[in-house]
Amino acid sequence: MAEKKNDKLIIMVTHGPEDPERATIPFVMGVAALASDVEVVLGFQVNGVSLVTKGCAEHVFAAGFPPLKELMDTYIEEGGKMFVCGPCVQSRKIDPAADFIDGPTIVNAATFVAECTEATNVLVY
Amino acid sequence: MATHEDQVLDCSGMSCPMPILKTKKAIDALAAGQILKMIATDPGSKPDVEAWTRKTGHELVEYQAEGDKHIFYVKRHA
Repeated sequence: MAEKKNDKLIIMVTHGPEDPERATIPFVMGVAALASDVEVVLGFQVNGVSLVTKGCAEHVFAAGFPPLKELMDTYIEEGGKMFVCGPCVQSRKIDPAADFIDGPTIVNAATFVAECTEATNVLVY
Repeated sequence: MATHEDQVLDCSGMSCPMPILKTKKAIDALAAGQILKMIATDPGSKPDVEAWTRKTGHELVEYQAEGDKHIFYVKRHA
């Protein structure tokens, strides 16, 4: 009998520190998904790519939720994946080697397409 | 008959998603059939725990509300 495949969520993050709620809630959902045995990938595009740079999350707070830094650390500790749009990073002159926190992977559109078409559901913030 | 718990987890004061994450870690450390008593003050915790047990297969055996506290007895599945 085939093994039951776990559900998988892709959560696209398109807002950075300029929108604390749209920056924070993806991580809230990501941690909740991991706690619910749902595989999850956070995909960062547009201004969302800023969130994975060093020193950014420390300054993001959305009312009613834990601080973004705490959520991000928890998400990473629990094994959550982070994929970051390469062109979005380049256009913002971010240097992944120097500027990224540990954990994110640079990917391009084909990876996002594959992940989204293979997932159970996709959310976009 | 009152439910007897094997472990207590107090998530009072924590906000979403931390109560659910802490509950998962606590349940994972129990043996099959053991019961975790989880206390939360987050207003959304009742539907959250109900949804989480549906998703993970653990059993919500009892729920009580005491003032602003939500008290859950969750049995770990096999």
